[in-house]
Amino acid sequence: MPNVAQFAAWEGIILVSGLCGIVLWKLMTGGISLKCLLYGDARVVKGGGRKSYFSAGRAQMLMTTVVSAGYFLLQVIEDPTQFPDIPTPFLIALGGSSAIYLGGKAQALYLGRLRDLAGLLDRRGQ
Amino acid sequence: MRDNIEFWASLVLAVVVAFVVAILVPGDPDKKVVWAIEYGALVITFLFGFMVLAAIASGKIDISGLLEEKGSTSGGASMSRFQLLIFTFVVAISLLLIVVSKSDFPKVVPAGILTLLGISATTYAVSKGIQSGGSDDGSDGDGGGPPPPGGTVTHTTVVASPEAGGAVTHTTVVNSSTNAG
Repeated sequence: MPNVAQFAAWEGIILVSGLCGIVLWKLMTGGISLKCLLYGDARVVKGGGRKSYFSAGRAQMLMTTVVSAGYFLLQVIEDPTQFPDIPTPFLIALGGSSAIYLGGKAQALYLGRLRDLAGLLDRRGQ
Repeated sequence: MRDNIEFWASLVLAVVVAFVVAILVPGDPDKKVVWAIEYGALVITFLFGFMVLAAIASGKIDISGLLEEKGSTSGGASMSRFQLLIFTFVVAISLLLIVVSKSDFPKVVPAGILTLLGISATTYAVSKGIQSGGSDDGSDGDGGGPPPPGGTVTHTTVVASPEAGGAVTHTTVVNSSTNAG
């Protein structure tokens, strides 16, 4: 009888790669929307409500994510016998990127954009 | 039963495979029982997984809102969800490559990879908290907003008898203000 562990491994490979393939295909064809990926919500300082704006925090996080994922995949392709060791500075950079994104998001949602806040302070100072 | 034809077909196929292994394969009866259970479980797991994948591919299971940011004014995609998706897939694909090349599961998962996934998952959780906390109506976009100030929300559920079809009706009444006492 063939080894059942081999069958189980191939079964996992087929199912996981199938799921990855379907999700990637839906991302490429628009089945999963990436609309406004780089746009965040900000509180309107004067008048209330919220508005959408281009978020630099999201842009830097996208770049960090793509670079990290690419680096990780290249390491695995180079030596596919073990998981690669991820350098600590790399993890710190990733954590910092996430902190910038979250800080920017919290500030925009609760206080409003820095540009609007600065404008408001200028008007009050005059 | 007619709606779940794939489910029953998977179940029957798994039982047939288990019987074939148990009856036709030569060997020690103790080992044959173990093989029959193992292969039956393997077949049913694969077919259930395949059913889910087929349903996702055909649109029966809708994943169009997988990256959607709940409670956002633009209704756009969430960056933290996207990051979590990318890292999960990258680690999953890496695991597949390692299993294919070594024909064995890796003995240790480095702490760096767990940290990577932890950072990503924490970012997603905190982002969701910020988004729901910053929503104007206090809801997280899933329809679970608080009752209006000074008002009441009444939920009524009516279950019809089995003879009448067993229909379940939910009614929600929102009163903007109530007279206390």
